[in-house]
Amino acid sequence: MSAVVIEDLHRDYAEVHAVRGVSLAIEPGELYGLVGPDGAGKSTTIGCLAGLMHPTSGSVRILGEDPMGRRSTAREHLGLMPQEYSLYGDLTIAENLWFFGQLFGLKKKVFMERRERLLGITRLGRFEDRRADALSGGMYKKLALSCALLHQPQVLLLDEPTNGVDPVSRRELWALIYEFVADGMAVLLSTPYMDEASRCHRVGLMHEGHIIAEGAPGDLTDGLEHEVAEVIGGDRATLHGFLEGRDELVAASPAGERLRVIIKPGGSATLDAALAPLGASLRRVPPDFEDLFLARVAA
Amino acid sequence: MRSLTRIWALAAKEVRHVLRDPRSLYLALGMPVVMLLLFGYGVSFDLDGLPLAFVDLDQSQTSRELRQRFTSGPEFVDGGLIDEDEAEGRLVSGRAMAVIVIEHGFERHLRRGEDAHLQVLIDGSDNNGATQTRAKTEMMGRIFGFQAATRVVSASGSAIEARTWTRFNPESRSAVFLVPGITAYVLAIVAVLLTALTVAREWERGSMAQLFATPVGRLEIVIGKLIPYMVVGTLAVLLVLGVGMWVFDMPFRGSPLALAVLSVLFLAGMLGQGLFISVLTRNQMVATQAATMSSMLPSMLLSGFVFPIENMPQVLQYITVVVPARYFVEGLRGVLLRGNGLEELWPNALALLAFALLMMVLSTARFRRTIA
Repeated sequence: MSAVVIEDLHRDYAEVHAVRGVSLAIEPGELYGLVGPDGAGKSTTIGCLAGLMHPTSGSVRILGEDPMGRRSTAREHLGLMPQEYSLYGDLTIAENLWFFGQLFGLKKKVFMERRERLLGITRLGRFEDRRADALSGGMYKKLALSCALLHQPQVLLLDEPTNGVDPVSRRELWALIYEFVADGMAVLLSTPYMDEASRCHRVGLMHEGHIIAEGAPGDLTDGLEHEVAEVIGGDRATLHGFLEGRDELVAASPAGERLRVIIKPGGSATLDAALAPLGASLRRVPPDFEDLFLARVAA
Repeated sequence: MRSLTRIWALAAKEVRHVLRDPRSLYLALGMPVVMLLLFGYGVSFDLDGLPLAFVDLDQSQTSRELRQRFTSGPEFVDGGLIDEDEAEGRLVSGRAMAVIVIEHGFERHLRRGEDAHLQVLIDGSDNNGATQTRAKTEMMGRIFGFQAATRVVSASGSAIEARTWTRFNPESRSAVFLVPGITAYVLAIVAVLLTALTVAREWERGSMAQLFATPVGRLEIVIGKLIPYMVVGTLAVLLVLGVGMWVFDMPFRGSPLALAVLSVLFLAGMLGQGLFISVLTRNQMVATQAATMSSMLPSMLLSGFVFPIENMPQVLQYITVVVPARYFVEGLRGVLLRGNGLEELWPNALALLAFALLMMVLSTARFRRTIA
């Protein structure tokens, strides 16, 4: 049985259609990344999964149960790390952990073991008497993740866990997530950072309430029929004006010294020929997730 | 069992919030005492040294005796004899609270056992003072007339003595009458405010989403939040009554058990009202406004604290039936002044219990587990 199943989920706020027909399934031990820009509908999808919002239509299931159901035990097996600050800022690290441990009814011995383990991995042990609102962004996120992991949920929902986190803490967060995924936890994680997609087992690219592409990160970029290239040589300003009007292009963006272009399928030969008089040429590069996203959004 | 663990965890967390930021404790314990002192010393309905002027048209032995009798107590001081046409001016300038006009033939009429007339002009701009002055002068006039009449009739001279006797508050001191009212009034405000802020705070800082993603139930949240503030509220009750007894010589004649039952039920109702407001508004600003208005006005105006319920228009009297402070004020006066116990006050306890339950049911029912 899939740990998480979403079928044709729709969710509207007054005038806004935030989620418009999302379907996906996540298996135990799988790390699924919901990748997309702000406003794509990621948080709404997670909110529906966590039982914090009613879907407008469609269904969500956690371990086969409706998280909104009256007799549902889904919440017992669910861990949530919301995007916003949602721990108690005036309580210390130790007190926040204790509180959530109690809410999930952990026995003292079990609680102490898990607490030590989590404080160890996150290296928060030294600060356990520090108030949560006195923590740096990265430390706070590590604490929030620890609170969500205390009861070792079978399904973990992480809403932009790495947002505003420094690279070192970010690596620690990922290490912590991997450790639990390896134990069989199903994780749904949202992120606006395209470069983080490659860290997931499977990715859903989300845009304007739809999943516009889904698959293993490598397969997705390999399967891109568009070509990605860097423009070498030529005068930058001239090239800009020239590329502006070309139909072959999906997008052009500066990448260091050079311009990086995404070319529609089969358009590279004509573009290359057209660039030659300007003293420039194309050099193919492997597409990354940002290219994939831009190409898919343009389609 | 796990439910108890969760309630306990919520209560303990709430206690930590309160201790981390003791401002709410100052509010809960300081405000009642300050208000009690302000009201107790500042507000007095007692008549004290009001100037009384006399127009003596009778110029008799009896009229002089009457004047002397009126001003011998602490309520009135003699404002002097004036002419009839000065009376209006005295009242307008505020130099007299009332003018007593003793008509021609006052003594003669009394002697003959006929109706003797006194005219009393009262400055009605101070409503309370005017009412009390009227009552007092009427009473004194009647006693005087009665005594004068009996003296004439019975030659033995053993005049019947007329005496009024105010039970339960013999000196008719305002403070004694006010303390139960103030207690209910400040407790209502403090209790409603305390809980009105706590749920709204969870919404504002985003912790509600985190809480809702756990197995914790709505009723568990409601109870977990009530318990600590129940303790704080009980402390406030003890503090206010203690100060009332110590500073204002408030008596305590009735059953401590009745006092405890009434206080706990009243607190539960008020805390529940705060929770209900908090659940509805989800916003500390709005919750504060709603809490203050909804607790202050009814407990001040419709509880019988300041204005006797029997004197209210019929419609308002019906409205007071759903004001919990009414039952608490009545109950407190019963326990403290009249020496009542639960035998007399069980209807009040029942009314308070009904309100408390209603508030808890409403808060739980309107508590949406969704964030949008």
